[in-house]
Amino acid sequence: MAAVEKIIEVKNLDFSWKDQPVLSDISFELIAGSFTVMMGRNGSGKSTLMRIMGGLLPYDKGWLKVNGKELNHLKARERARYIGFMAQKHQGVFPFSVQEVVLTGRAAHVVYKPSVSDQGIALEALHLTGIAHLKDRIYTELSGGEQQLVMIARVLAQEPGIILLDEPISHLDYNNQIRILKLCKQLVKRGLTVLAVIHDPNMAFSFGDQFLFVLNRKVHSLTLDEATENGILNEIFENNLNQVSIDGRPFFINRIADKV
Amino acid sequence: MNRNYKIWAVFILPFPVLFGSLFIGASERVAFHDVFSILLPGNRLADPLIRTIILDIRLPRILLVFFTGGILSVSGAALQAIFRNPLVDPYILGLSSGAAFGAALGLTTAFLPVQLAAFIFGLVAVGLSHFMARKNGQVSIISLILAGIITNGIFTALLTIVQIWSDPFKLQSIVHWIMGNFQNADWDKFTLAIFPVVAGLIILFLLRWKLNVLALGDEEAASSGLNPTRLKIWILLAATLASSAAIAVSGIIGLYGLVIPHVVRMLFGVDNQRAVLYNLLIGGSFLVLIDNISRSVAGYEIPIGVFTMLIGAPFFIWLLKKSNIGWQQ
Repeated sequence: MAAVEKIIEVKNLDFSWKDQPVLSDISFELIAGSFTVMMGRNGSGKSTLMRIMGGLLPYDKGWLKVNGKELNHLKARERARYIGFMAQKHQGVFPFSVQEVVLTGRAAHVVYKPSVSDQGIALEALHLTGIAHLKDRIYTELSGGEQQLVMIARVLAQEPGIILLDEPISHLDYNNQIRILKLCKQLVKRGLTVLAVIHDPNMAFSFGDQFLFVLNRKVHSLTLDEATENGILNEIFENNLNQVSIDGRPFFINRIADKV
Repeated sequence: MNRNYKIWAVFILPFPVLFGSLFIGASERVAFHDVFSILLPGNRLADPLIRTIILDIRLPRILLVFFTGGILSVSGAALQAIFRNPLVDPYILGLSSGAAFGAALGLTTAFLPVQLAAFIFGLVAVGLSHFMARKNGQVSIISLILAGIITNGIFTALLTIVQIWSDPFKLQSIVHWIMGNFQNADWDKFTLAIFPVVAGLIILFLLRWKLNVLALGDEEAASSGLNPTRLKIWILLAATLASSAAIAVSGIIGLYGLVIPHVVRMLFGVDNQRAVLYNLLIGGSFLVLIDNISRSVAGYEIPIGVFTMLIGAPFFIWLLKKSNIGWQQ
């Protein structure tokens, strides 16, 4: 196997919220230039882990290294150049234009006000996400899918090497889901590392390169076969899934029909 | 093209407004040509009284009104951005009631100068709101607004005590002050207010683009490399410093800091990068116009806060109905 670059290394990391352990003794790695999908039940700690990795929550114990540097020691500005994070749901209040929203992604690169080159980079991010035509539209008036793309463009404008997307497709129609996952693959091809929380197993396993399963305060970095074999997949989906193989590709069908 | 005209208009607007206001006043002894002749170089006006009326009564008042209107609008816009709440203005923080209490205390006890006391208690009120809203090292939008309501309640109660204690003559001046009044404006008051106002304006101007980032939300600001808590404290301090200094000399000009930022948004969009300057120019000019009405519409002066309240209240309700903001979450 060729030597792979570990862009994120997590070792024995603990995180508690109000004395309640959320993640305990977790260790995993992310490979540079991969599209990693994180799966797990609601409330299992996926968003917490994303926030920790995005530098928004400090961890208690263990360490988390980004490009070999301890995350807790990085200044916000420096961290933002390595890691970009998109929260699960964003509620816009003011009627900013799409371009103004995307431009705010440049905050780590701006002293007082964005330069012409910052504006160019924001525009480039809009082209990359395929929504350049929306640039003068009002963000709060867009559809959910369009808003999601704007927020992804915002993270891209930040120009980080790693992008964390918390449930980027959960509220979208099927076509928009495909569109965003294709975009993730495209970004990975450009050398970025993408980690996304996805609930739909078919979407997850047809697009992901690497998988993280969050279960019982632990994070398991496994392939699909490993996760099937040791029962973690069944545990997460509570035995509600049938795995079938079509043309050698795994597909998942729910078992509701068996039970009703 | 249309937009360019609007921008030019905003930058030119203060000049005719400020100049034209020099002609307006209670004194009938000042003739139209007197104002011109005083501004012409080398022309020494014969009557020192007229000279005093124009240069020492009207001019400082106009400038004070301009900067008060400007800073209230700029602070309102900044506070709306950092709280992500278009219905917020300097009063939500309890700043006005804190300043009102301070001024009343100064008027009745002579323990502190009126302006200084208003300034100190304005800061105390904001500090109190911030302190009460702080939980787990974070200040949420809702908790800060609630804390502001509590602060307002506390200082309104304290103000009532001061009013009960004070003699009828002083009571009248407190009431006058509370409703917002520029009747006693002079160069002393102007110089007292101008330094904190300009200091606050400079800080808010430098941070103007970051208001856009903060307006998106704490998480968005933090993940893109800002420290939202620290930035918000800076902005809060700057806005409080400047607006309490203005309130200390002018009284409570109700809802003004709410209305003007919305007018600016309707005219020029939401981008705070431009809005800070436009709020200063439009907010300043418009308050000068309102002040002209308040000192010329009747034989006596009507407190300017009466007008801004009468304009602001229906505007606030219209905003509330239109935007549905404040109901969700």
